[in-house]
Parts: sequence; C-alpha cells; structure tokens
Amino acid sequence: MTIATGHAAALQRADIKRPNVFQQMWASRADYLYVLPAIVVMLVVIAYPIYYTVELSFFKTPPGLQLRDKVFVGTENYSTILSSDVFWKVTVNTFIWTIASTLIAFVLGFGAALALHRDFVGRAILRAILIIPWVISAVAASYIWKWIYHSDFGVLGAVMVQLGLADRQPNFIDNVHTVLPSLIVVNIWREFPFAMIMLMAGLQTVPDQLLRAAKVDGASAWQRFWHVTFPHLRGVSTVTILLLAVANFNSFIIPWITTGGGPSNASHIWITHIYELAFGRQRWGVAAAYSVLLFAILMVLGYFYVKALSGNDKQEHGA
Amino acid sequence: MAQVVLKDLVKTYGSVYAAKDVSLTVNDGEFVALVGPSGCGKTTTLNLVAGLIPITSGDIIIGDRVVNDLDPKDRDIAMVFQNYALYPQKTVFQNLAFPLQMRKLPKDEIDRKVREAAKVLDITHLLERKPRELSGGQQQRVALGRALVRDPAVFLMDEPLSNLDAKLRVQMRSEIKRFHQDLNATIIYVTHDQLEAVTMADKMAVMNGGLLQQYDTPAQVFANPVNMFVASFVGSPAMSLVPLEVSSTNGITSLTSAEGWHLPLSAENARKVANARSKKVVLGARHSTIRLHKEKLGDAVPAKVYTVEPTGDITFVQAFLSGAIVNISLPPSVIVEPDEMVWLEFDQDRIHLFDGETEMALRAE
Amino acid sequence: MSSTGDITTPRPRKQIDGWRWTGRIFLVIMLLYTALPMAWMILTSIKSGFAAMQFPPQWWPTEPTMASYQKLLDPQNSVGQDFLRFFWNSLFVSFVTTILAVVVAVPAAYAFSRFNFPGRKFLFFSVLLRNMFPAVIFLVPLFILMRWLGLVNTHGSLILTYLTFGLPLAIWLLKGFYDNIPIQLEQAARIDGATRFQAFLLIVTPLSVPGIIATAIYSFIGAWNEYIYAATFLTKNEQLTLPVGIQRFFSENTTDFPGLMAASFIMSVPVVVLFLLLQKYFVRALTEGAVKH
Repeated sequence: MTIATGHAAALQRADIKRPNVFQQMWASRADYLYVLPAIVVMLVVIAYPIYYTVELSFFKTPPGLQLRDKVFVGTENYSTILSSDVFWKVTVNTFIWTIASTLIAFVLGFGAALALHRDFVGRAILRAILIIPWVISAVAASYIWKWIYHSDFGVLGAVMVQLGLADRQPNFIDNVHTVLPSLIVVNIWREFPFAMIMLMAGLQTVPDQLLRAAKVDGASAWQRFWHVTFPHLRGVSTVTILLLAVANFNSFIIPWITTGGGPSNASHIWITHIYELAFGRQRWGVAAAYSVLLFAILMVLGYFYVKALSGNDKQEHGA
Repeated sequence: MAQVVLKDLVKTYGSVYAAKDVSLTVNDGEFVALVGPSGCGKTTTLNLVAGLIPITSGDIIIGDRVVNDLDPKDRDIAMVFQNYALYPQKTVFQNLAFPLQMRKLPKDEIDRKVREAAKVLDITHLLERKPRELSGGQQQRVALGRALVRDPAVFLMDEPLSNLDAKLRVQMRSEIKRFHQDLNATIIYVTHDQLEAVTMADKMAVMNGGLLQQYDTPAQVFANPVNMFVASFVGSPAMSLVPLEVSSTNGITSLTSAEGWHLPLSAENARKVANARSKKVVLGARHSTIRLHKEKLGDAVPAKVYTVEPTGDITFVQAFLSGAIVNISLPPSVIVEPDEMVWLEFDQDRIHLFDGETEMALRAE
Repeated sequence: MSSTGDITTPRPRKQIDGWRWTGRIFLVIMLLYTALPMAWMILTSIKSGFAAMQFPPQWWPTEPTMASYQKLLDPQNSVGQDFLRFFWNSLFVSFVTTILAVVVAVPAAYAFSRFNFPGRKFLFFSVLLRNMFPAVIFLVPLFILMRWLGLVNTHGSLILTYLTFGLPLAIWLLKGFYDNIPIQLEQAARIDGATRFQAFLLIVTPLSVPGIIATAIYSFIGAWNEYIYAATFLTKNEQLTLPVGIQRFFSENTTDFPGLMAASFIMSVPVVVLFLLLQKYFVRALTEGAVKH
C-alpha cells in the first residue's frame, strides 16, 4: 500500500535566486588554484599556436621563416591546396590509413583481450609480450620494420621466397601499390596492444553475476558474449576507437621514418605532407592553411571524442 | 559537551530544497536521531551541522558559538560515517591518532589518549592492523574510537550501523547507547531505520522531503504521530491506514466504507472527525490494537485474510479491509487461513484519525 | 532412438572447445606477429654487418657477436660517446617531464573530480581537446615561441612541450582514479581537524599512488619516445635525444643494420622494463578510473 505524503511531498522547487556566475566564481576562487598550473601551460602551448596558425594561413612567407617579410594573400593558400592533385591523393591515403589502422587494431586488440580473459598457464607472460610493441618507440618500430621489409635483405621477402610465395625478393615499401598496406601493418603492430589493454580493463568490469545468470538462463558462449559482454563494453569500445582514430589521423613517425611519404607520395598522409611542405619546401603559409583544414576535420572528430571521454564524468552536489 | 541549535536551516541545490526551514534544539547530553526515507534531507542536515557543505540560510549554533561559516575542523565535532571512512593506508593506531596530530598534541599525549580510547572500545589488540584486515564490527569500533579520542562537543553519526549484518547491528546498537550514557555525550544520529531511532534516541526528528515533520521523544512520536507520513514511517509493521468516509445518522458519527459497512465512532473521535476539511478521513491503527474475530461481533468490521506470517511468539496477519491492507498481530494459538473472512474490532481509544486531504492528524479541539 | 541423448549432451561442450581453440590459435598468431619482428631485431643486432647482408639470410647468426653493442656503449670511441650522451639526454628530459607532469596533473585532476566551479566543464573539455591536435600543427608556432623564450636548443623546450601533450590523458586517468576515492575520507579528515588541502595531501594523495604511478609511466614513455619536437627544436648534436640521435646517425650510415638494431634495442629496454614492472598499476588505473562507467 502506498501512502501519499501530503504537503511534505518530494523535493520542492526553491523560489530563491541563484547567485550569478561571477559570485560563484569568486566563491570558488580557491578551487581554481588547483587547475591553474595546467591551464597556464595549456594556454601558452596551445592557444597561442592555434591563433598563430590561423593567422599565418592567410600569408605568403619567404623561405627561412623570415616572418617579417610575409605578405597577405587572402585565401590564396587555401585555393592552392584544394586545386592540387597531391592534396586529394594524400586525403585518400589519410582516410585509408586511419580507417584501416583503427578498425583492424581494434578488432585484433578485442580478440586478444577476449582470448586472454580466461586464465591459463603463461597468460601473464603472453600478455606482457603482446604489450611490448605499444611501449617501444615508433622510431625503433619503424627501423625494425624497415629492415624486415628491406628490398634486398629483408627477412619477410626471404621467407616468402623460401615458402615459394614469391619467385624473387618482393619490394614492399618501394612500390606504390604495397607501401601503404605495408605501413599499416607496422602501425597496427604498434597499436593493437593499446586496444587490448583498454578492453582487458573493460572486461574486468563485466559483472560475473550477469554472466552466470545468462548461463543459468541457457545462453551459449556466443550468446553470453553478444548479450552481456559486448553491450557492457560499448563505452570502452567507443573511447578506444576514438583514441585510436585520433592517434592514427595524427600519425607521423612511422610513414616519415620508414618511407618519408614516398614513393611518389604513395605513403604521404596529411601530417607528413604538412611537415614536408613546411620544413622541406619552406612553404609556411600553405602548410598553415593545411593545418587549419586539419583543425576543421579534427573539430568534428573532437566533438565525439570529448563526448566519449567525458561520458564518465560524474559530478555530485556537495564536496 | 554542548547543545546544538538549528534555526530555520535551509539548503538548496540550484532550485531544489534539500532542507527547508529545519529548526530544532539538541540539548546538552541528548541523543537525537534524524530519521526518514532516503533523500529526505537527514544526511544533508547532518552535513550542514558538520560544515561539510555550506548552508544557504539559517543558523547553526554549537555550544554558544554560531558556526555557520566555520570550517569543519573548527567546529569541535566528531563524525562517524556510514562506510566508516577509515583511512585505508593508516593502521588503526594512526587512524585514531590522526585527529590528535591535526591538533598538534604532543606525541606522548597522543599515545596515551589513543590507548585510552582503544581500551574503552576493546580494540587495543587491533592497533597495528590496517582497516582492510578488520571485520565490519571492528571497523565500526575504530570509527567510533576516532570520534571518541578527541572529546568533541558533539558526535555526528551518519547511518553508522547500516553496513553491519543484522546480529552485529543489534549488538552495536546497545554499545552505542551505552557509549552515550557513559560519556553523557551530545549525539546527532542519522538513520533510515526507525527501529534504531526508537530504541536508542532520547528524541527523534522525523524528516521527509527536506522538511522536519515531527520532533519529539520516540514514545510521543509513536503514540501521537502528527501526520500520516510519520504514522506510517514509525513502528514495525507499519501502522495500517484505511481511507474511509464520515457519515452521520441519528446523531451517531460513523466511518463508512465503500464496501457498505459502518464503524461508529466514540464521542471524542466524533469530535476529531468534525475538524476534518471534508468527509474523507483515514483510519489508522497499529497491529497490536486490532482484535481479530472469527465471527461478526459488536462493531467489528469484515475483512479478508491475505497473508499469514507466523514468527514464533506472534503471528502477523495481513488482511484486506475496504481495499487497504491492515496488519494484525495474533497469538500463535489463533489459526487463520488465507482468504478466510474475519471481523476486526478497533479500540476506540487507540485508533488514529487523519484528515484525508491534508494528511494531518485530527485533534479533538 | 538411443542417439537423441547423445546428440544433445556433447554438443555444448564441443562448442566451448571450439571457442577455446579459436582463441588459442588466434593468440599464437598474435604472438608470432608481435614477437617475431622483435626477435629479428635482436638476432640482427648480434650479427656482423657482413652476416646481416646475406641472401637468403642467416636465420640464426652463425657467429654471434656483441660488437655493435660494444661500439654503442663504449665511452672511448666517438660513436659510443654520442650514443651515451643521447641516452643521458633522453633520460634527463623524460625524468623531468614526468616529475612536472605529476606535479601539475595531480591537483588539476583532483579539482576536476571534486570541485564544482564555474567553467569546470569547459576547462576539462579544453584539456581533453589538446590531445586531438597533432604535433605538426604546433611545430612552427612553438618553434617561434621557444625562440622568443630563449629555449631553442635547450632541453627546457622539450620538457615544456612534452608536458602539454602528456597532461590531458594524465589528468583524465587521474581524475577517474579520484572519482573512485570515497569523498567521506576527506570529510572525515576535515572533521578530524585537517584543512581541505591537508585532507588532499595527507589522505587522498597516498591513496592515489597507483594512479600517480600510472600517470608517471605514461608521461615517461611519451617523453622517451617523442621524435618530432626533438627533431625540430634541437640542432646541436650534443643535445639530441635518442630517437633523433639514432635517426641522424644512421641516415649517414645507411647500411649498418646490426648497429641500428642494437641501438633500437637499447632504446627500447628502459621503457619496456619500466612498463613491465609497473603495468599492473597502469591496468588498474584504467580499470578503476577511465573504463568504469
């Protein structure tokens, strides 16, 4: 039986006025001290560069970064970019690179996390070995794979010849058709452990009770995964995929060290291309305009990114 | 020890009241329980007294000081939390010593006081352990010890027993009561369990929806609940509440059910229902004041048995009366079956009558 | 028929075994994918330059030699001097970055977890957004900024920069950690006589040590492996960090693959050891903080 509680009904709306935002800021002035160091560093190293890049994108600059001599050219830098063939080629490369790397790294990481979830002898060692590629530097990874792909003495080609898969040493990274997939393999090698760690952490939060309940209800292993485990990992998966996508979109070291964007731009992605325009050909204004376009794309990604990352930001009253 | 006065205490979050115009006085040495369902504002009120959240308006006076703007550390209070809030990285000794260290007491005095408190609570043998190595009851004792060691003006306790199992809870209940008597301490104790409040407290403050409903001794609250909320919240099983209508024939005032029966009221009860705003009146009765008969007798009214729960020395029966469920207690010798028709007789001197619209208790004047 | 019972009982068992075997085979493939390139790095590093350049390759070095390691780690010759200096530079930059990252991230994460000040959400988002932007975008303006601050060709320029890209995730990780420390502990401390700051320092900070360790590993590895800023801000040979130093050195000696592999190996050892020793904190920080919903 339920009893109405009369005049003492639930929480009531207050008729008082809330203090305005400045009063609130003043009241919590001490709180800002905690975040101040972080904010100052961020402002100096982020806000200024962004402002600077946007400004520079409307100027033509002479080589050598003599910025006093820059000339205002309006949107010329932008039209130069959008009308160049290289831009579109690099854009296609970037999307292939980002999407393929992200999805395959995620799937491999997910699979490894699931396979490692059950306890068995040697699990800890296996897990540790699988994580190592993520920890070592991308520069080292690039050199290792550059050597493995070497057109004369590369071990991968030698193995393929020995197994009869190729009749002579294949040319992985000096070939416009195979260079991008070859680099994606390197990138995934370095990134799938990150997805694995995230999902292993996520798997630990799947309540055992639910899995047992599903088992009692007669669900098969696959059904338990699909109805219990997978929905539980949706949040982690979103965050992981976004973090991977952002990192891949912003990749630089692997293509730059391994191939420098070649041959004939076949492995250039946005970031390496911008770098080459700026530091190779000293076309600072065009590079800045490129960067601004990059901002625009990142902002779209960033919307989802911030949404996913702040999803678990719980704030209660009080404190 | 000191008295605590709350004057028109208000706490709002945005535009929602968490506590509204709460006023009460806790006398020196008194044990006051704040009770109510979750979200009723009792914990908010306690946190306001502790200074853990800032008040929106009103006054808090501890001893002879207005402490509205004082930091918790300057209020001379101690608090025991629901999850004990023992510092996990510190040993029991360090936990007890922490409040004394914060007051910069000399080392030997800290040592002496900690051991004294540990002795009182019988936790001396646990002093070198970490909280996670203790059982729930032991952790509870340490939490009490950390409050005790400082000799504060007021003890604040936030559901300190709710994480314990039933048996331990009963035991700790009497220990806290003992603790209060020995120290003559002023205690404000928050609980959602009315039984704890009734058994331990000198006075209980029943809250709901941020409002203080009734503040009185447990006996008074039990005997004279001011409204239907308090009536149904205090006492176990809950007071049965049956919505009925007032009718009057030949000068006799009765309560009439839609099921067709009438319950004639005594003269005093008739005066009470005369004060109701409308014809709608709710009849309240505690389980022990209702008598169950197997056949129609006098003013008894018909009901249908719903469940029968023997507990050994008492059998609790729930029955449908005019669409509402009524709790009745019986000696185990009386045997009733579910779905059996029975007749209930109410004790006119011990029934409660509430205004069906305002839900307030009806008085004879 | 007698076979009906036989069909129903063994079937689920077979399915479970099927999944288990799929998992095992998958793990073996992943192990090969992960470990073989690293194994090849090590095997190459203990070959002579001549032995490395054979076709078909020596699958196992016939005459293993530590010559490459001796050359890199010998303070007597010029290669060794350079390499050891790069190593020391990397260590210094990573170490200072890590300390500063912890000092800055801890209070910020705490504030984002506990306080509710106006602009909190906005500031938190902007901190997170920092991680969105690639280094390349910031190179030119930061170079000019560093020139203006007089930090070009100093390790200070790297430390300041690394701090900013390490901070966002560090703050995010730590905030998740603080979210899980019961607020009652601080309330108890404040009632016990601590100020808000004392409660943070004496009660909360010791409890967040695993989170701080995770943050520190993350900052250290990030700084140790960073390449692009170091390549831009540093030009003097004696200041280079390992990734840039190795790249410059071996772009002049393009055929010394055993040396390059040995250098890659030495560069990887500190971070791998550090991570393997402390990985449980990292996984715990993720489980208790970031991943929990």
